[in-house]
Amino acid sequence: MSHLLDRLNFFSKKNVGTFSDGHGVTTREDRKWEEGYRQRWQHDKIVRSTHGTNCTGSCSWKIYVKGGIVTWETQQTDYPRTRPDLPNHEPRGCSRGASYSWYLYSGNRVKYPLVRSRLIKLWRDARKTLAPVAAWASIVENPKKRDAYTKKRGMGGFVRADWEEINELIASANAYTAKAHGPDRIIGFSPIPAMSMVSYAAGSRYLSLLGGVCMSFYDWYCDLPPASPQTWGEQTDVPESADWYNSGFLILWGSNVPQTRTPDAHFYTEARYKGAKSVVVSPDYSEAAKFSDVWLHPKQGTDSALSMAMGHVILREFHVDRQVKYFEDYARQYTDMPMLVRLVKKDGHYVPERLLRASDFDGDLSQDNNPEWKTVALDRKSDSVVVPGGSVGFRWGEDGKWNLEERDAAGKETDLRLTLVDESDRDDVADVGFPYFGNREHDHFQGTEHEDVLVRKVPVKKLALAEGETLVATVFDLFVANYGLDRGLGGSNVAASFDDDTPYTPAWAERITGVPKDSIITVAREFARNAEKTNGKSMVILGAGLNHWYHMDMNYRGIINLLVMCGCVGQSGGGWSHYVGQEKLRPQTGWQPLAFALDWARPPRHMNSTSFFYSHTDQWRYETLGIDEIISPTAPEGPWDGALIDYNVRAERMGWLPSAPQLKSNPLELADAAEAAGKDPKDYVVDGLKSGDLQMSCEDPDDPANWPRNMFVWRSNLLGSSGKGHEYFLKHLLGTSHGVMGKDLGATGGQKPDEVAWHEEAPEGKLDLLVTIDFRMSTTCVYSDIVLPTATWYEKNDLNTSDMHPFIHPLTAAVDPVWECRSDWNIFKGLAEKFSEVAPEVLGVEKDVVLVPILHDTPAEIAQALDVKDWKKDEIDPIPGKTMPQIAVIERDYPNVYKRFTALGPMMDKAGNGGKGIAWNTEVEVEHLRELNGAVTEEGPTKGMAKIETDIDATEVILMLAPETNGEVAVKAWNALSKFTGREHAHLAAPKEDEKIRFRDVVAQPRKIISSPIWSGIESEKVCYNAGYTNVHELIPWRTLTGRQQLYQDHLWMRAFGEGFCVYRPPIDTKTVKPIIDQKPNGQKQIVLNFITPHQKWGIHSTYSDNLLMLTLNRGGPVVWISEVDAQKADIVDNDWVEAYNVNGALAARAVVSQRIKEGTIYMYHAQEKTVNTPGAETTKRRGGIHNSVTRAVVKPTHMIGGYAQQSYGFNYHGTVGSNRDEFVIVRKMDKVDWLDRPSTDQPEPAQ
Amino acid sequence: MTATLKALSLLLTYPSEDLRTALPEITKLIRAEKLIAEPQLSKLLTFISDIEGRDLYDQQERYVLLFDRTRSLSLHLFEHVHGEGRERGPAMVDLQQLYDEHGLSIDARELPDYLPLFLEFLSTLPLVDARTHLGEILHIVSAIKERLRKRRSTYLAVFRAMEIVANGEAEAADIEEVLSAPDDDPDDLEALDRIWEDAPVTFGNNSPGAMAPGGGCPVARDTLTRIDPPQRPTPDRKNLPRKETAS
Repeated sequence: MSHLLDRLNFFSKKNVGTFSDGHGVTTREDRKWEEGYRQRWQHDKIVRSTHGTNCTGSCSWKIYVKGGIVTWETQQTDYPRTRPDLPNHEPRGCSRGASYSWYLYSGNRVKYPLVRSRLIKLWRDARKTLAPVAAWASIVENPKKRDAYTKKRGMGGFVRADWEEINELIASANAYTAKAHGPDRIIGFSPIPAMSMVSYAAGSRYLSLLGGVCMSFYDWYCDLPPASPQTWGEQTDVPESADWYNSGFLILWGSNVPQTRTPDAHFYTEARYKGAKSVVVSPDYSEAAKFSDVWLHPKQGTDSALSMAMGHVILREFHVDRQVKYFEDYARQYTDMPMLVRLVKKDGHYVPERLLRASDFDGDLSQDNNPEWKTVALDRKSDSVVVPGGSVGFRWGEDGKWNLEERDAAGKETDLRLTLVDESDRDDVADVGFPYFGNREHDHFQGTEHEDVLVRKVPVKKLALAEGETLVATVFDLFVANYGLDRGLGGSNVAASFDDDTPYTPAWAERITGVPKDSIITVAREFARNAEKTNGKSMVILGAGLNHWYHMDMNYRGIINLLVMCGCVGQSGGGWSHYVGQEKLRPQTGWQPLAFALDWARPPRHMNSTSFFYSHTDQWRYETLGIDEIISPTAPEGPWDGALIDYNVRAERMGWLPSAPQLKSNPLELADAAEAAGKDPKDYVVDGLKSGDLQMSCEDPDDPANWPRNMFVWRSNLLGSSGKGHEYFLKHLLGTSHGVMGKDLGATGGQKPDEVAWHEEAPEGKLDLLVTIDFRMSTTCVYSDIVLPTATWYEKNDLNTSDMHPFIHPLTAAVDPVWECRSDWNIFKGLAEKFSEVAPEVLGVEKDVVLVPILHDTPAEIAQALDVKDWKKDEIDPIPGKTMPQIAVIERDYPNVYKRFTALGPMMDKAGNGGKGIAWNTEVEVEHLRELNGAVTEEGPTKGMAKIETDIDATEVILMLAPETNGEVAVKAWNALSKFTGREHAHLAAPKEDEKIRFRDVVAQPRKIISSPIWSGIESEKVCYNAGYTNVHELIPWRTLTGRQQLYQDHLWMRAFGEGFCVYRPPIDTKTVKPIIDQKPNGQKQIVLNFITPHQKWGIHSTYSDNLLMLTLNRGGPVVWISEVDAQKADIVDNDWVEAYNVNGALAARAVVSQRIKEGTIYMYHAQEKTVNTPGAETTKRRGGIHNSVTRAVVKPTHMIGGYAQQSYGFNYHGTVGSNRDEFVIVRKMDKVDWLDRPSTDQPEPAQ
Repeated sequence: MTATLKALSLLLTYPSEDLRTALPEITKLIRAEKLIAEPQLSKLLTFISDIEGRDLYDQQERYVLLFDRTRSLSLHLFEHVHGEGRERGPAMVDLQQLYDEHGLSIDARELPDYLPLFLEFLSTLPLVDARTHLGEILHIVSAIKERLRKRRSTYLAVFRAMEIVANGEAEAADIEEVLSAPDDDPDDLEALDRIWEDAPVTFGNNSPGAMAPGGGCPVARDTLTRIDPPQRPTPDRKNLPRKETAS
């Protein structure tokens, strides 16, 4: 054929060839159109970063940058692999994180340093004639000038300022405060260091160099479960989420994994695919409920009744009627169950008293060292009383016996007796009384009519002690009796059948919780059976739903008991997974020197925020909870009088809890005063306190001499998110307009505290200066005097770890901070520089007298063993570090704060480093840092020291010093621990001895951390991280009195408040509804509902809650959820504006009416911003409050205990917590929604 | 070079002593160039004398409240176009490229879409080109002007002047689109209600929202249509200066 015919003359074929067997074609069509897409997704670079501060998800993200502008982000997928048969971690990330890039360029971004114009005007006027510090003095010492700006807090009126000027103002305020009042009047609040450690450390390092106070957050957020330190001597240590996969039976209890642990939820799903059974306990049909095979929905706040009934079933079927060997062995070796408890007479029966100690015996059972701190048990092998190793008495003062080997103090093998129930083993059966609180009347919670004291039969032994013959019982026998099990010993208040109406049977629990008893029995039985078959692979994931109740300890201990009964704690796939705002600052011991300037001076000033805010926002002046309402009917003799704050004051002066401010006098003046008096400063303070010449600040928090004066808030929305008793903050701490509607004890004629001075007129506006550092205009910023613009999470270098996964990974600066923003590191570094410049006007090298509470994990933690004695009442001498706070004198070099800030100080060489009671030498690491970061070359006090100039330098300090990121240090740390335990542990880190993780390494890829004795789990090729793992498998004792998991809490105050053993306690009555319910009618029907604030889906606390993407997915402003039934009762329909109020304050929100909500509750997700779509509340006529407007913190005496092994103070470890779920509110439809949209007359000048 | 645009750019910056010192010169330039005629000229001059006379702190407070803190008055143009949209980053990149092509690079700690910055850029162009670009953002200018009018703010005069320099009018629909985003202090409750209302769920073929074949869930569709436009206009860059792509 002619090739004219053979080819196309007028066309060419689009496809010119094929490949891959015709599956692919080669074309010559124009593909320019693709460029549009290509360019859309083109970028110059991808940078690794993550999202802080309060999201503990710790997901690594790719940040895309084009032309110096962040364009979008996607999830990183390069986590190190896990191991065969375990799903990988990626992808991690959720809708919230994916919308973060918006924050960078948002209209809500704080772009410039902002300052209240009235303040800056005063400042500039003063600075015309005065030096900086004198200028500040001239403002705050003049009440009219001070009022001019403090009374306008929250009312706008900001102008921009430049860094130089604003730093000078702040630095001068700090210098003035230190000089005039004392550095402990300069306080700073920042939460969750793990999520951006350097940013936290920047502020805390500055404060610590000044002698200022770092405030705790974990307890204040009420995310700290005090049950954890009580039981384990551990703040909280939990399995990583991957370990869920190893479990055979999962209970999600008050936790909402898919909603609040979104990136981890896949492990839960995968565990279910693998066959794990899933039970979800939640009053509402939460997102997690869809995960359940069984959904239990107890009445909110009654969780401990449910867990006690489950414990009743498990004890009956797995410990009493039939004994599971694994469970018994576990109880014998790892719990306090074999320990002996003294029984003492009270009201015609016995009550359990303290744990028996070696010192109770003649000759102290041959224990010379700490016999008062060594608990005892009965040994079957020798048929005698023995002192098992591992109790806290062995930890301090001797070597090599602090371990959980089944041996006594002499090294002889033991077989400890758990029970005396066999007739051949016991000497007698005694009537022992247990307190019962479930009969207390409460308007909204069902009680039962059982007696106050439930007397039950307990098998006992009679021992000849130094004081004479004494009845003792094992913890196990008392524990079983507490659960109300009939063991054939007769007597009342015990049940042989699950159907009996006796505390704590399933039938009893059904009455209280509403959960059918059959469900309780089934779940308990299957939970234990799984643990029996798998040696402890049953797990409970629990959350804020339980921990935010006043009696959270009971909710938690009820569950901990279940896990311990079944040998789950410390076993892979088992245990206690508390995920509430928790954080795991994995390289903690490397971070602490940087964060608290321990390289320059020790100890730093720390304060527990709950007690601080309770006191300084004057919430105590409105206290309605009386001691008589919470004291136990079995309380030991004692006055048990006074108010809640009295217990806190006693705790502070006995050295149990920290104080800030500490003394009414300026701590910078005490050393000189002591010298003038010819005394050692320590003696001077002791004598002064004893004579009354010196006073502790806590005894008069309303005296201006005791006010906190300067406050920094960074990485936090204290007022908008976490300020329980929000309106009290506004009124007393800030002194601005507020919505407090209640009357204080002066007005109501209530009983005033004994230990605290009462001022008829409460102070309003204690703070001279509030500085907030944020990248968005949060509620806290709105109320601040100065707002400093900080870098977002894509604009700085930092480190991030979580307990949800074992990796350390970075935040890195994808772009420079926009506008005038600076990273937290640079902000505080700048402040330090300015401070050093202005300080010499009034300050030089000064001696600062610091009061330190008795700290956990130090030899001082064994302070008062057998009783509680108060020096103020002349019951004992004031002995620093024993019966009162320890006293330290520290040298502050104020003119050199900047130099110290930017160099690693000499204490690391001199004193070494350590944590959790062990210490090691760090000379090698300091030398490495000098080589890595360079040495300071400038003349001066820091010449030759390692530099810490940049945020990356700071990360290297952390990484170099921490055992988790430096294998060499890990080996040193394990060896240091071996000295205590007498066992070899270094094998856990030896394979990684040469590994040193650098900042650039984690920028390249997240790194798995190295096993260290700071944590109770390990990283290995065989198991996932699981809490308590090294206790069980390496026989390292828990850091408690007995060295074991402690289920019996024998401290005097624990017994007094009825919590020796776990019991059911109904929510408290906060009395916030009755005084106001009929006072402010608006013509609408009212209902009273329990106010619950769970974590939300469309934000991480308040972050993202002002992001329009998230608001759009939600309802775009404040909402509350109520049930259909309650809505009907009050004529509320979906989307109505409603008001919720009580004496604490009011809030306005839209109602979401949903069948998933349990009748009787109202949900307001934590935390919605006041700055978004909030109208005025009718009752207060103020812009409707936030969720915390209707709350007030109520402290609990048992959380104040100190100097008692595990119940000793530690920063963010132990202390009072700010519970908020026992609160009720009145809910009604709003008559008229008022947006308060007129120009404020309060403002100096309306904006036009 | 259009001096009036440069003057307007300056008038929209944060009030400072420098600005106040420059006011007589600014006034002179505006008068000389004669781009703005009466009666607008007097209004603009009134605004200028207001800045001259008013306490500087008051002015700064006012500026921070209006432009730094009120999102619906933001001087960052894309706030009104893309809001929180992911398009915002790429849009800024495009804008920056436009400046690049004219041999200008940003030397301030500001974003490319900052209105005073954009006006300064326009002031370097021939008036005819400046007008074209100004025309592209005119609907935003007009929308902010409307909001300022509601607040009875004297800054209104600056935005009105921009309209006059642009010598054209924005499409009413475009202005409406920007204005339909809720103002920061909403007083129209009904409108707010409408935005957040859930669509009633209906079932069956004859129900109003019944599914059209291939149309997806009608409830979701209706909800999305109602929520989307009033919130923020959908990402649409046609109204903004941008670099033409190679296609």
